[in-house]
Amino acid sequence: MALRNSTSGPVKTVSFHQNWSAYAFLAPALVILFLSLLLPAAATLLMSFTDVSFLKPTNFVGFDNYVKLFNDTRFQQAVGNTIHYTIGVTFPTMVLGLLAAVALNQKVPGRMAFRTIFYLPVLTSLIAAAVVWAYVYEPYAGPLNGLLTRVGLPPQPWLQNPGLAMNALIIMAIWRDFGTAMIIYLAGLQDIPNDLYEAARLDGAKGKDIFLRITVPMLSSVTFYLLIILIVQTFQVFGAIYVMTQGGPLGSTETVVYQMYQTAFGYTEFGYGAAMSTVLFLTILVFSIIGTRIMRRKDA
Amino acid sequence: MARLELSNVSKSYGAFDAITDVSLAIEDGEFAVFVGPSGCGKSTLLRLIAGLDPISDGAITIGRDDVTRKPAGTRSVAMVFQSYALYPHMSVYDNIAFPLQMERRSKGDIRQQVEKAASTVRLSTRLKDKPAKLSGGQRQRVAIARAIVRKPKIFLMDEPLSNLDAALRIEMRTELTQLHKELGATMVYVTHDQLEAMTMADRIVVLNGGRVEQVGRPMDLYHRPVNRFVAGFIGSPPMNMLRGRVKAIESEYHSFDVAGIGTIVIDGLAERLKIGEEVVLGIRPEYLAPHPAGSEPLIKIGVVPRSVERLGAQTIIHGAIEGQNFTCVFAGDQAVEPGRELSVYCDAANIHVFDAAGTTVSRK
Repeated sequence: MALRNSTSGPVKTVSFHQNWSAYAFLAPALVILFLSLLLPAAATLLMSFTDVSFLKPTNFVGFDNYVKLFNDTRFQQAVGNTIHYTIGVTFPTMVLGLLAAVALNQKVPGRMAFRTIFYLPVLTSLIAAAVVWAYVYEPYAGPLNGLLTRVGLPPQPWLQNPGLAMNALIIMAIWRDFGTAMIIYLAGLQDIPNDLYEAARLDGAKGKDIFLRITVPMLSSVTFYLLIILIVQTFQVFGAIYVMTQGGPLGSTETVVYQMYQTAFGYTEFGYGAAMSTVLFLTILVFSIIGTRIMRRKDA
Repeated sequence: MARLELSNVSKSYGAFDAITDVSLAIEDGEFAVFVGPSGCGKSTLLRLIAGLDPISDGAITIGRDDVTRKPAGTRSVAMVFQSYALYPHMSVYDNIAFPLQMERRSKGDIRQQVEKAASTVRLSTRLKDKPAKLSGGQRQRVAIARAIVRKPKIFLMDEPLSNLDAALRIEMRTELTQLHKELGATMVYVTHDQLEAMTMADRIVVLNGGRVEQVGRPMDLYHRPVNRFVAGFIGSPPMNMLRGRVKAIESEYHSFDVAGIGTIVIDGLAERLKIGEEVVLGIRPEYLAPHPAGSEPLIKIGVVPRSVERLGAQTIIHGAIEGQNFTCVFAGDQAVEPGRELSVYCDAANIHVFDAAGTTVSRK
């Protein structure tokens, strides 16, 4: 095995023997990576071509699981729900995160306190937060309906109405995630040289122009990064659904990962679940590659 | 173009006085350079003129317009920043067009103005490029074009050449001077480099500790500095400073006892020194010669060179007299050896005398 040395001049090759210490230092990380990531991923891929289950002997089924998956209306509904959730969470989270970051990047009194308060939901346990929000949405004793009643509006069955349940989950996710977006945007804002704002002020630009022509474009790398991580993260939503709705009512909050969990661990159809997992993995991979490409092109 | 006037301008940050009571008039079309060491307040003063920071006291007038309380964008000033402050996500065209777009000018007008400004700074072929693709000098020119396009009353430049390499700095220095002539603009230029100040300025404003030390034409500052600070700051290598004491005064002549040299006699000083008073004598390194030359009385000084720099056109000798650095600049390539004492000569008429407070003792 040989490595190419990319220095200028004649191409040199460096033998494995000469680089053994580099490989020795990399080895522990490579072993962990192999055991925790590559091995399970390969096992999942293999499983997706079988009908492995605790209840019967395992058979190789080729692409049957995938054919079944693409004809499964329940899976299609789960994909639709996942897209609804992803769009519903990602964009408002980014907009609110940006606005909060811009506001708290100014020298306003109490800005450190506000930054901490906005970031606190990110630090809370997801399960604990989901239990609290389940209480908030509780139709009879929940504080949200209590508030609605007090201002003269009818109470709503937030998590029991198929038309409302997904939006209720989205609101909770925005509450939980926008602190992350805010912190990342704040870091991005602090990277923008002050000279640019001063030059823009001297050039006659005012608040709106400065925000739209300087701040937003200067944050485009951060925005792309956030977009990708939020899409990847929301595609994998599971915990909140598991605690608050179990995919209901009428499958209206059943997302791909929740359905995958149900299929594999509820119905013990591990092969079919593995096929779902593989499709999800490939989808996320595509988004990640697109994101990385765009980022690279922007940096070039 | 317009006249710029600062009247008793002060700026404080809490208890720290960055600028103290600066009054100054820069004439229409003049190229004024603010020069001084780091932290002297020159960039702060420029920012106050630009309106980027509010002043604590005083008034700023541009033309007939009192702009003291006006926001930055409405003062009709353009600024070229040390970092260039180009918008990295915009093309060269959009960078130059930005101020006009903010004025909501028509697209046709903007295109015409941008092309004209780009042509002035020789960037017509790079309009579609992003700043990252340009060299340091080209970025500098974009920043200048962005300033030109606004047709401001005053151009402000904050150390615009400090990020360029030495060769490019000399080239841009000439270009900026040329541009000033072409535009006939009032320019205020900040630098810590006295060479830039000397070569570019119509008038130099020397700042120190937030105060104006002296305002004058470059050669006035060189030949007639008002105090020790200006004398030491203007000129390179800096003026040699020798500590001494007034020994005797006889009619037109002052005798000084100078440590490490002996007695130096100077005539024609205003008689306001007292016998025994401490003074500092200043001698520019370039006014020292390796041979007796010039009008009498010549002062002979013995110096032991510690190091010798041969530049071809000049020989620079670094030595010390009584622990104080002493530098000589001789024309041409001189045969001087480090460690071997040599005698250097100076015309007494070229010696500056500063009193104990550092103020220049004027000559009759």
